[in-house]
Amino acid sequence: MREYKIVVLGSGGVGKSALTVQFVQGIFVEKYDPTIEDSYRKQVEVDGQQCMLEILDTAGTDTDDVPMILVGNKCDLEDERVVGKDQGLNLAKSFSCAFLESSAKAKINVNEIFYDLVRQINRKSPEKNLKRPSGRKPCCLL
Amino acid sequence: MATIRHSLQRDVFEPTEERLIGVLYVTKPGKKKKTSFLCATINKEKPVYATVHQVKKTDKDVYKKKNSWPLRELQVVDGRDENKDTADLDLTFDRIYKWVANSAPDKHAFIQVLWKLCCRYLPKQKPQFINIPAELIEENINLAESGDVTTSALDNVDAALEDDGDYRALSEKEQMDLERLMEQCDSAVSNAEAFAEQLSRDLSVLDGANIHSMMASEAQVEALMVMIDSAYTEAEKIETRLDSYDEILLHVKDSIEKMADKNTSIEQTNANNSKLLEELDRLINQLDLPRNYVKDLYEPDLNKAGMLPQAIQAAAALQLVINAPISSQLSQLQAVQDEKKRFDKLRGRFSQIVSRHLNNLFIHLGNDPGETLSLHAEQLTLPRHGSIHTELLPYTPLMHWIRALDHRAYQHLNKTYATSISKLYERDIRLFFEEARQRISGGRRLRGSGSSQDIASMSGVAGKLTSQIKHGAQTLGTRTNTGALLGVDRDQWGSELDMQERQKFDEIFERVLSELQPVCLSEQEFCIAFFNLNATGNEKAPSSVASTPGSSGSEESSGSAGTSSGAGLIGTPGSGHGRPFNREVRSMMAALFTTLEQQLASFINTYDRADSYCCLYIYVRLSEHVLTAEDTGSFLCTTFGSCLVQAKRNFDRFMNSQLQSIQECRVARKKCGIIPFIINFEEFAKTAESVFKKSERRADLDKWYVRLVLAMFEYIPRVASEHQRTPPEVIKMENYHVLHQLMFQLKLPGMDTQKKEAKQRYQEALSAYVTQYFGRPLEKLNQFFDGVTNKVASGVKESEVGYQLAFSKQELRKVIKEYPGKEVKRGLDQLYKKVEKHLSEEGNLLQACPIMVVWRAMQEEFIRQYKLIEDLIHRCYPGAMINLEFSIDDILNYFSDIALSH
Repeated sequence: MREYKIVVLGSGGVGKSALTVQFVQGIFVEKYDPTIEDSYRKQVEVDGQQCMLEILDTAGTDTDDVPMILVGNKCDLEDERVVGKDQGLNLAKSFSCAFLESSAKAKINVNEIFYDLVRQINRKSPEKNLKRPSGRKPCCLL
Repeated sequence: MATIRHSLQRDVFEPTEERLIGVLYVTKPGKKKKTSFLCATINKEKPVYATVHQVKKTDKDVYKKKNSWPLRELQVVDGRDENKDTADLDLTFDRIYKWVANSAPDKHAFIQVLWKLCCRYLPKQKPQFINIPAELIEENINLAESGDVTTSALDNVDAALEDDGDYRALSEKEQMDLERLMEQCDSAVSNAEAFAEQLSRDLSVLDGANIHSMMASEAQVEALMVMIDSAYTEAEKIETRLDSYDEILLHVKDSIEKMADKNTSIEQTNANNSKLLEELDRLINQLDLPRNYVKDLYEPDLNKAGMLPQAIQAAAALQLVINAPISSQLSQLQAVQDEKKRFDKLRGRFSQIVSRHLNNLFIHLGNDPGETLSLHAEQLTLPRHGSIHTELLPYTPLMHWIRALDHRAYQHLNKTYATSISKLYERDIRLFFEEARQRISGGRRLRGSGSSQDIASMSGVAGKLTSQIKHGAQTLGTRTNTGALLGVDRDQWGSELDMQERQKFDEIFERVLSELQPVCLSEQEFCIAFFNLNATGNEKAPSSVASTPGSSGSEESSGSAGTSSGAGLIGTPGSGHGRPFNREVRSMMAALFTTLEQQLASFINTYDRADSYCCLYIYVRLSEHVLTAEDTGSFLCTTFGSCLVQAKRNFDRFMNSQLQSIQECRVARKKCGIIPFIINFEEFAKTAESVFKKSERRADLDKWYVRLVLAMFEYIPRVASEHQRTPPEVIKMENYHVLHQLMFQLKLPGMDTQKKEAKQRYQEALSAYVTQYFGRPLEKLNQFFDGVTNKVASGVKESEVGYQLAFSKQELRKVIKEYPGKEVKRGLDQLYKKVEKHLSEEGNLLQACPIMVVWRAMQEEFIRQYKLIEDLIHRCYPGAMINLEFSIDDILNYFSDIALSH
């Protein structure tokens, strides 16, 4: 089974851990505990293939030239939106990556994010170069 | 009455463009109730004609015309009696209408109105006025005499009538004039002809006089014309004169304008000159360097006491003139360039002298022994170097001067400072950590220490995560067979630190962290102040990094204090809460404390390897320091931060290895008893609790508790099924029971679900065990009654079962005889011994004695079976007086006797 290394990046408090835990365990974590670093493993089936995702939930931010998806989390808090959808799309365009708006709480687009990454990695390096981390950068909705 | 008039006029006649002249309130004779108003009106338009209306008031208080007759149709007005005042009035139009007025005066007034109207509009064919007092219908009645109401009514009539005619009476004055004229002539009245003649005579006289006077004025008019002519000539002369003046003035204007131009240019030149002077003054002022300063700058003696302030002052003056804002045009002036050259020379000279002085000072200070000799201190202490700072602080302005004016010299000094002082710190920190090691474990050789790994980790670039990960992998390799693992029996654990040593380590580690803080902080503050590191505007210094994309400074929106440090600790440059720490500060600090991170990492690694639990202490202590730090992004914070990430990884690895040991646990003992990971969990949890008691990172531990316990749930059944001797139900029962008791005692938060599950699994295992091993001690009886139940189920009546051959009373008695009380007790006694053999001793250490619990459960099972049999006997063999040979009380006694005897 192919292993995929995925890194979740972004400012503090935007819901990186919430998104990851929602994806891995299907639970929405209400409590805010600043993450130092956590890693998770989950086996999923994407496009009929079994994949082992190793997800590193970090505290820091960094970007690199790797398959990437930009995520705007907390899209359930539409009333408190400060970052417009256009802004997100434009930023994604400047990174030349995909853009999704998600909600860990309402389970919107959670799986799609990770599946999209797996597909991106598959496209970029079909089945040989294993080490392909992917960055995600949630935008802050407050 | 006036109101009625008003409303009649408004409501009834206004719409038809009529004017109400007179009104009379009348009733039909003999019918007092039937009231109506007779109204005399004229229309407002010409030709004027008058009309008489009969108006009634309806029930709804609305006036309505009932009848209307033009006045000319009025034939007779009959007052009925000429001499008596009567209110009767008959009017004849097409026929005679009889009415009674409300009073005689009103009637009279109305008749008068009619009379007047008739006089005016029907002078030729007046209707007959009969039986009416003569004075009412006289041509010119004296109005004053006819009383109040009448008067006003007639006044109205007069006024109304006069409005329309062009007849004008003579005014009083005209009348008087006329009278006087007539008086003058006696004969005026008597002899009109003579009077007229006289008048025409007078008129011709007056005419003549008029013509005469007109003729006389001709000469005067002529004279006037001449005068006008002369005035005209005169005016022309004046005009010519004015024109000549104007011409003259035109010339004057030109010359004045020219003069004004000249004047302005003179003024401008003047202003320019003064501006130039001013500019020059300023330039000179800007470039003015007092002579005494020049001397101070040229050969300053910084070693001489009291000389320093003077030099600083001179340096400031020099900086001022060098940085003077002089426009590029002015800079091209030869004088300015010369002056600049001179300043440059001075700057070079002074900078050289100061640099040499400071250089020497730095090297000299590099030998500072520190304020406290750590070796003799009561507590572990990192020496402070406040004295160096105090000694250098007076030079701060000069340092800033050099930074601003001689960047090369500045960089050189910077480097010298870093090299000489870093040696100091290197030595201090090395000794500090050695001392710390000494204090924790004495001279004892620790597990894993002394190996090549120590050196390997130190020689690498410390703080780089990759090397640490590699290192971590190595430590993991050494730990697997020696650490205190949950799934391994305690006697197989390698040498670990004992609890006291761990406390000691925790204490010293805390001390290490809190000792590093003030030293680093004071050095950092000194460096920022002394080397002017946070200065903005210096083109060579990188500007503040506060706005680095993705820096943690702006993420405080979540409101939780200290969250940013979590993000900042990866080593990304981040700005703190207030003051940003720029790269310059960090690189300076990194140059000063070259070995700090190495030493800290190596210290942590030593103990991480020596004792598996140390990673918990390290994680908690470090996170405490990092998460509460206010100077996020500072050198120390970033250093601690990267150590913290490593510590978290070690923590996770430790937990993972615990998890793995649970999964790999095998029990080889004869009697399984309590599985090691359950036994060890108590100490594990107690230690972890003591470490994480008040930590912010509790959540991390709680997550692992859940994972560990879930793993136990998963692996207890596996261990149970794999064990050769002990029945799996016993293993499950005992272990779940102990696990539940542990969770209950430790009061682990957030594990209610797991606690409940442990309890449930325990109970399930208990009942499974009882069902399987208690079995049916009264087997034959049970078989007998199974048969009975089957019969009943196949349709045999309960009362007739006793007549079946196989289930007769005789048969039953026979079976019952096989189970006398003594026999039952013996069976139970054997069972007890078997149970005792199954159960382990460790289980007894806990509050509830498991064998008693099991025994009690078996007792209940036995009683249940007993009751079932008894019930069937009562139902199927009623009145047969058959009973079992022992009672429930007997059973209870057997059980307690057996339990007591062991």
